[in-house]
Order: sequence, then C-alpha cells, then structure tokens
Amino acid sequence: MPNGLDIPFLIDTFFVALTGVPIAMLITIVSLLIALPLGFLLALTRINRMPILNQFSRVYVSFVRGTPVIVQIFIIYNSVPLLLGTIFEKYNINMNVYEVNPIWYAFIVFSLNTIATLIEVFRSAINTVSKGQLEAAHSVGLTTAQAFIRIIIPQTLVVALPNICNATVNLIKATSLGYAMSLPEITLKAQVAANASYNYIEAYIAIFIIYLLICSLVEYAFKRYEKRLRKYQIAPAA
Amino acid sequence: MLEIQNIHKSFGETTVLSGVDLQIGKGDVVVVLGPSGSGKTTLLRCINFLEKADKGEAIFGDIQVDLHQASKKQIQAIRKRTAFVFQNYNLFNNKTVLENVTEGLIIGRKIPKEKAIEIAKNALNKVELEDKYTAYPAELSGGQQQRVGIARAVALSPDIILFDEPTSALDPELVGEVLEVMKTIAKEGTTMLVVTHEMSFAKDVANKVVFMDGGVVVEEGPPKEFFENPKEERTRKFLRRVLPDDFIYHI
Ligand SMILES: Nc1ncnc2c1ncn2[C@@H]1O[C@H](COP(=O)(O)OP(=O)(O)O)[C@@H](O)[C@H]1O
Ligand SMILES: [Mg+2]
Repeated sequence: MPNGLDIPFLIDTFFVALTGVPIAMLITIVSLLIALPLGFLLALTRINRMPILNQFSRVYVSFVRGTPVIVQIFIIYNSVPLLLGTIFEKYNINMNVYEVNPIWYAFIVFSLNTIATLIEVFRSAINTVSKGQLEAAHSVGLTTAQAFIRIIIPQTLVVALPNICNATVNLIKATSLGYAMSLPEITLKAQVAANASYNYIEAYIAIFIIYLLICSLVEYAFKRYEKRLRKYQIAPAA
Repeated sequence: MLEIQNIHKSFGETTVLSGVDLQIGKGDVVVVLGPSGSGKTTLLRCINFLEKADKGEAIFGDIQVDLHQASKKQIQAIRKRTAFVFQNYNLFNNKTVLENVTEGLIIGRKIPKEKAIEIAKNALNKVELEDKYTAYPAELSGGQQQRVGIARAVALSPDIILFDEPTSALDPELVGEVLEVMKTIAKEGTTMLVVTHEMSFAKDVANKVVFMDGGVVVEEGPPKEFFENPKEERTRKFLRRVLPDDFIYHI
C-alpha cells in the first residue's frame, strides 16, 4: 500500500484475528487453572524447606526463567512427539503423534512456564502472612487445611493478586508465540491474512489493538477483584 | 484440673525449659513472672502444642497426654480445652471482629452458625465491643484488638485460657482497658494462666504466682506471700528490679 494504511483491510483483519481470541484465552485459562494450585503447593515446599521437592522447585524455576519461552516451545513441540512416538510404538498404540492437536503442547509449555512464575509470586506472598495467623487458627481448633483455606490463602491472594495479574497478562501476550506451533490464535490468524495481501503493517496494528484491549480488560478485572478482596485492609479513618 | 509435669524443651543447642511443673486448679488465676528469655512463652506454646516439647506430660482433667508424642487427635482434644491470647493479638486480618470470634466456634467446634453468632456477640459485649462487630482488625486500636483476642478465647469456653503477655505490645494508655477485661473474666471464674509483667495484676488478681528463671520454676506461692516474703534470692533480685519501691513491703 503505497498510499497510507488500508483501513478496510485493517478492520477486516481485526475481525479475522478476533476469531483467534478464544484459543488464546483457552490456553491462558487452562494454564492458570493448572499453574495456580501447583505454583501454590510448590511455593509451600520452598517455604517449608521440604526435602527434594524444595530443591526440585528451585532448580525448576531457574531453568524455566533462564530460557526464552520460544526455545521452550521448540523443545516441547519437537521432543514430546518423539517421546510419545517411542512410547506408542513400544505399547503398540495405534495413534499418529503428528496428529495431536498442538493446543496440548501449548497447554504444557504455558502451564510449565506459569508454574515457575507463580512459585516465586506465592513464595513471597505467603511470607507476608505472619506465622501468627496459622497459630491463632490452630489455637481456636482449626486444622491446618482449614486454616489455609479460610485464613492464609485469602490473605496470600490479596498480596499476590497484582503479580498474578502480571503473570496473566504476560501469559496472554506469550500465547502469540503459539503461531510457532501452528496454533490458530490471534497472531497466526493475522499473519495468514497478511500473507495473502502483504498488508503486514495493517495486520500488526490490528493484533496490537486486540492484545492491548484484552490485556487492559484483564487488568481492569483484576483491579476490581483486588479491591473487593482488599476491603479488610482499607481502614476508614477511625 | 491442669497439671503439667516435667516439660523440657530445647531449640538446637539452647535449652529453654528444663523440667517445669505446674498445677492449676479450676478457677485459678496463675501468673507466671520471669525475666525475658526465661522460657515463659515457650511454656505456654508447649501446653497448646504450638511448639512440640522434647519431653513432658499434661493432665487435663480426664485426659493425659505426652507433650512430646501426642497424636493429632490428642492435640485437637487439648486445643479444644484451651484457648490462647497472643502478645501481638494475631486476629484473623481478613475477618471481621464478629467472624474472628465465630470462626473457632463454627469451624473448630462445629457449633451452628446462629448459635455461634449469639455466643460471639455475648463475648464481644463482655469486652465492650458491641459497636465493632463489623469492623476489621486493621480498623481497631491495639487495646480493642486485644479485647477481641480475649473475646475469641472466652467464646470457646475453654477449660483454661493461656495469656502470653497480653498487654506488652500495647501503648501504655491502652493497657488498663485490657487488664480490666481480664479482671472481669477472672472474677467470673475463668481459669487463667497468665504471663505478664503487670505486677499489679499479679498482686490483685492472681491466686498463685510462679517465678521462672533459666528454664525452671524458681519459686511459687500465693501473691501476698510471694511479694512480701520471697524465699529465693533469685526471686528477691528479680522483684527488686521490676517493682516500684512502694510496692515492696519487707524486702
Ligand atoms: N522458635 C525458636 N527458635 C529458637 N530459639 C527460640 C525459639 N523460641 C524461643 N527461643 C529462645 O528460647 C528462649 C526463651 O524464649 P521465650 O520462651 O520466648 O522466653 P520469654 O517468653 O520468657 O521471654 C530465648 O532465648 C529465645 O531466644
Ligand atoms: Mg515471651
């Protein structure tokens, strides 16, 4: 387009790319659902210095954080089929590993990644809740599990929420790397549309706006939720 | 009704309790005195299993437990008969005043909600917080928070309430209101084991004073005798340091 932007194409691409949003959100939500509890439990193993699990978590976090997500994607995307292929062959399972929907790889990569982030998020958040809260809960007859569910976790969440929000937004943005696994998410859809007409700038602007909108919405939702959870901390002038 | 026998507790190399015995009768108010670091907090914590003793026994009416190797069930049973008032209150920050008190009743004691709320309100009224049911701990003064802490303990109607320096985190002008509440519940016949530095409370409210130093009970007795006629040199030294001059009659 020599003469400025092709606005109609931009708008069309916007809507085409929008059809990739459900996949991006599905990956985000599944990864979070897997990573929130696992991240929390592994954070506890760090805090309580549980043998083996503690060291495992520490090494795990440094591995995941010390490597680019795109490299993790390449590794999982290429090695898991090989691994599965060998297993299928050995047990005579009649299934083509290359027909596995790439979304499964996305679930794996992004869950593993988010777990690493959340271990650290929860570790520092749990540490801000004083040990006295658990002791008080014990002293009135709550079991440790009850104390966690009713007292410790709600307080931990409030502290962790801004960082969980960050992790979520980063996760949404990272799903754009799904195109490397041929996932029909937002970026890939726009890319395909642009490939046909070489209107790359328009396509990129379209997805730029989409990511911006989604992330702003998510941040807004988190802020609202945090405010609700935080009500016990806001002390009106006494 | 509560008897503690031969509690031992070390943290690594540091021996904190080396054979403490205690007898507390029903309705007794026993005050534990002692210099900082003498193991008073650790003693209370071992009784409530917030800390695991290395050795020792507790006899609670009809239950007898080994403080070192009690089962989970025994621990729950003892905790059901005791309540703890913490030095820094430890109110549940995410719960309202009323919820702080009902939590142990509904979840710990399985009392139906309506009944629990009624009990909690009674306990809160007793500590004069009837206007704070819906407040959160962060909205309260230290004195008010500690009164909630006491209401939370009283509401459980335990056999004994353990107080660990309930007033020492408070601004001086707030100490009085908390001591008043403690006096009230003592008068009502609550059995209390109180670690405190408030000598006037020990003198006026306690029926037994226990002096600990270096992980053992050095001396114990009725307050009048204890303050007027301490037998041990270590006790006299301690009292001379902590008591205002006009408090001591014959030392
Ligand atoms: N969790 C712990 N780990 C290591 N040392 C501890 C711990 N709790 C208490 N201590 C030590 O035990 C001693 C007695 O402490 P404490 O029972 O709190 O005394 P008090 O309440 O009489 O001041 C102190 O020297 C303290 O440093
Ligand atoms: Mg202490």
